[in-house]
Amino acid sequence: MAQRHTVSGYVTDSATGEAMIGATVFIQELNKGVGTNNYGYYSATLDDGTYTLVVKYIGYAELKRAVDLTADRKMNLKLSTTVQVMQAVEVKGEKTKSQTESTDMGRMDVDVTKLQTLPALLGEVDILKTIQYLPGVKSNGEGNSGFYVRGGGPDQNLILLDEATVYNASHLFGFFSVFNADAVKDIELIKGGMPAYYGGRTSSVLAITMKDGNDKEFHGQGGIGLISSRLTLEGPIVKEKSSFIVSARRTYIDVLAKPFINPESTFAGSGYYFYDINAKANYRLSDKDRFFLSGYFGRDVFNLSGNQPGSPNFKIPWGNATVSGRWNHVFGPKLFLNTTAIVSDYKFSFAGNQDQFGFSLSSGIRDYGLKVDFNQYPNIRHNVRYGFQYTYHIYTPSTVAVNSGDVPFSIDTPSKLNAHEAAVYVQDDFDVTDRFRINVGLRFSFFAHVGPYHEYITNAAGDNIGFKDYSSGETVAQYSGLEPRVSMRYTLDKRNSIKASFNRNLQYVHLASFSSIGLPTDTWIPSGKNVKPQEAVQYALGWFRDLKERKYEGSIELYYKDMANQIEYAEGASPQDGGNANYDNALVFGKGWSYGAEFFLKRRLGKLTGWVGYTWSKTEREFPAIDNGVAFPSRWDRRHDVSVVAGYELNDRWTFGGTFVYSTGQAATLPVQRYFIEGRLVSEFTQRNGFRMAPYNRLDLAATLKNRPTKEVTDKVTGEVTTVQRKYRSSWTFSIYNVYNRSNPYFIYFATEGDSGLSGLQLTARQVSLFSILPSITWNFEF
Amino acid sequence: MFFTTEAQRHGEMRSSRATLPTTYLMNVKLILLAAISLPLLTSCEKDITVDLPQAPEQFVVEGTIEPGKPPFVILTRTQSFFAPTDINSIANMFVSGATVTVTSNGSTWTLDQICSDLLDSSTIVLAAEATGLSVDLLAAANICIYTALDPSHVGVIGQTYRLDISAEGKTLTSETTIPNPVPLDSVWFKLALETPGDDSLGLAWARITDPDTIGNGYRWAAQRINHRANGEMKDLNYISPLGSTYNDKYVNGLTFDFNEIRGQQFFGGNPEDNNAEQGFFKVGDTIAVKAMSIGRKEYDFYSTYDANVGALGDLFSTPANVKSNITGGLGIWAGRGVYLDTIICVP
Repeated sequence: MAQRHTVSGYVTDSATGEAMIGATVFIQELNKGVGTNNYGYYSATLDDGTYTLVVKYIGYAELKRAVDLTADRKMNLKLSTTVQVMQAVEVKGEKTKSQTESTDMGRMDVDVTKLQTLPALLGEVDILKTIQYLPGVKSNGEGNSGFYVRGGGPDQNLILLDEATVYNASHLFGFFSVFNADAVKDIELIKGGMPAYYGGRTSSVLAITMKDGNDKEFHGQGGIGLISSRLTLEGPIVKEKSSFIVSARRTYIDVLAKPFINPESTFAGSGYYFYDINAKANYRLSDKDRFFLSGYFGRDVFNLSGNQPGSPNFKIPWGNATVSGRWNHVFGPKLFLNTTAIVSDYKFSFAGNQDQFGFSLSSGIRDYGLKVDFNQYPNIRHNVRYGFQYTYHIYTPSTVAVNSGDVPFSIDTPSKLNAHEAAVYVQDDFDVTDRFRINVGLRFSFFAHVGPYHEYITNAAGDNIGFKDYSSGETVAQYSGLEPRVSMRYTLDKRNSIKASFNRNLQYVHLASFSSIGLPTDTWIPSGKNVKPQEAVQYALGWFRDLKERKYEGSIELYYKDMANQIEYAEGASPQDGGNANYDNALVFGKGWSYGAEFFLKRRLGKLTGWVGYTWSKTEREFPAIDNGVAFPSRWDRRHDVSVVAGYELNDRWTFGGTFVYSTGQAATLPVQRYFIEGRLVSEFTQRNGFRMAPYNRLDLAATLKNRPTKEVTDKVTGEVTTVQRKYRSSWTFSIYNVYNRSNPYFIYFATEGDSGLSGLQLTARQVSLFSILPSITWNFEF
Repeated sequence: MFFTTEAQRHGEMRSSRATLPTTYLMNVKLILLAAISLPLLTSCEKDITVDLPQAPEQFVVEGTIEPGKPPFVILTRTQSFFAPTDINSIANMFVSGATVTVTSNGSTWTLDQICSDLLDSSTIVLAAEATGLSVDLLAAANICIYTALDPSHVGVIGQTYRLDISAEGKTLTSETTIPNPVPLDSVWFKLALETPGDDSLGLAWARITDPDTIGNGYRWAAQRINHRANGEMKDLNYISPLGSTYNDKYVNGLTFDFNEIRGQQFFGGNPEDNNAEQGFFKVGDTIAVKAMSIGRKEYDFYSTYDANVGALGDLFSTPANVKSNITGGLGIWAGRGVYLDTIICVP
């Protein structure tokens, strides 16, 4: 048997030092490749011999390196972007991998650099909005935080920013995401076939990796838009050893709107703004050890101040903060370790007063977590990953306080809820034969709600008749379970592959929503005595095909998903029910299921790139306490969903982008009958979500004008004219949102008119829409 | 924001009271909505036609029994949400010819049906006062109510009353108890100062001491018993504004102050409901206050009723049907303990 040795190292961008995630290092002689991990690390263990390593990454020049493998070799590979002046030979296109090759099922990468050329609402480039154009991912148009993946709710998406969980990923009730695209390097969405490494959510993973910061020279970029401005600065701290990036953004609607609000009006002095800051620094101690520290801090603040006696005043701040510290350690060429320590915090609060009355409500969640993740590469056929994850959660489900003058009402502050969540996992991405590859994994997760906890004991009528106090650390309820994950690929020929996946996921946190529109009042609720963990089992099957020499790729995926222990608020529940009661008193439980087919065709290369996606799906829920147990459409049930995304690079100055979406209208519950009590109109509702609003559709267009990437410089001495890259670049993005001015339904309400006597009574249904045609302009710069 | 709920339009939420969080939270939704649209200033709305599914008709009971008063029962039927709203359609809601009995302590009273076509114009005014229905409606259509004409058939505190109704082949039953009345410690009028310099409009205030037993429910009603220049009494009957239903979940055993806006009838058309006086009492008014004690099921009904009426068609709230205590139909059969007081409105 031949001797074996390992070639390993990092793949980075030669100009910025950024680690290249998901680049393939191809061993030409074996016709096999290995991928880089999230930190750009690769490792291939081969029989001794001479090999040629080829690294390909779209937008970068192909890199070939010969390696004579007689001992373990460390090879750091630096890729250069294709030189702009060599325009003719440059391959343009998406910086993402072909779906046909990978084992990943239902996994999508989004090219961050493409985002800026797509149209965006008010010119605000938005990662969350862009992923909603992918098949199987649904949005609810404007004004809805969160996204829905394959019939799962918005709480079932694991959103990670540098490994830290982000609980509320949007600003301004869902209009803008909290992620500032300037600071983002990589976006990965997994909507099925979740590897065992990920857990704690049943629907999808959206993993966002921030840029590390240029470790060679100082750069900046930013933009000035209609409603906000942003600035990103990055550079070396110690050249080629340590770098930083800081990115900040703030809206100025409040400042701009002020002159237009009549100072006499009731709500003069009110305002809304949000800001966020991303920061990251890293330090490379050696090729074996590297440290990262990243943080996010964002706040939305809404103030309503009535300027007259007796009028109400409100202050509503909310937002996220995350900090994660990471340590990469290479034990040997075959073993890579990443350890992450995380703090994540989400808070919503609402305080109001009027006359002598005061009222406040707050909710939130804080996590302290640790993740230890080993990547092991025993030989070129295996990529093994194992480790453990632990999080200590502190939930504040909903705290209410009310006072009249100096008399506080006796509302018990519901105690904060504490919980341990832990998991161990192992997975292997195994190349069984040249055609068959399988990623098999197993995750074991554990959750315990622990004291201190003040449990109310109620009688049948719902009155509190006593309580039980749990001491600090005492277990109130605990759950655990196995989560098997399998996804596999069988290559039919060079252009076709079939993939299948199965996974079971458990989720120990639930988002309870009072309204049909996602608002920050929605509350995160942990599993506990009455609230069982959510569970989802998903089966998926797909056919992937490359077309026209990989210029195009297409896929068809089918899925079926069963969801257990879903929650809804009981009919008529409202946030104040939380006082003097257990945190889970107003909830009802049931199950759900979803199935669908997703069609996707993408043009990857050329001046024109983009995709067309179509999803047919059905999502239903069944709750014994709702409609007497009759199944009803879920709020995020959409029969048809179409999205078209296109980008066109006309020349090196002009780029055009366009998006179109169409989806079946949102389900809503409307009253069917009416009656009168005390002379007032009472609505009688029948089937939950039994009514469909009008379909949603919208076309957006954008055009970006860049200054020339190069300029001619005349040498003062020789008079020689040379073409050099511009150090300072800027661009204008013009975009039009809702080009054909469609009035998409946001919600429907009923208006009554004519109250003088009966004959004048008029009932009308009215549809409220948010955005009519909305042009915007943004100026971006980089240096 | 060009968006109003029924409650807003009637001015009942105009001066939100903070005594209990319910009212606040209704406002929270409106504020959040305003927050969404204020900065963007692009929201628009239009009338649409919605095609609602059909549902089988149900009977709706509105029945009360109070100490020393005969039972009053009105029986109506549900209508399709967008059914015509002309006077015939409204009159057709009322069910006549029903057999209505009230049973207590083994004795059964069969209630008498009184229909408005038999009443002369002065009795119609009295009937309007008793039922809360408008004089116009009572005069224009044959509307029947069920009550006991025998003066000995009146409610007694602490008694339980069973209601049986049969009409058009349907039977409905319910049961209620008249709870002990809880007195108000004091009542007064205070200027609201909603607009600077205003020296006439205000709210009714009261101080209450909740008994130290959990599970008390309350509902407030008020009636302006002074007259307009033309000699009409300002309110013909007691009116409960929306959101005037409470329980002692958060205030058990406490003494505290609360305020109430002036409620208005849907079928009212009081001249004061269409000007700045909407929702307010005015200096010079005399207010008859009726503080009612109610049981748990009755509290559930009135509180869900307040929420349902206040949130008409508002998708910001979880859609919720009113919790009825009627078996076989919708509506309420409420025994109510009553405490009466009077406020003279002086600045």
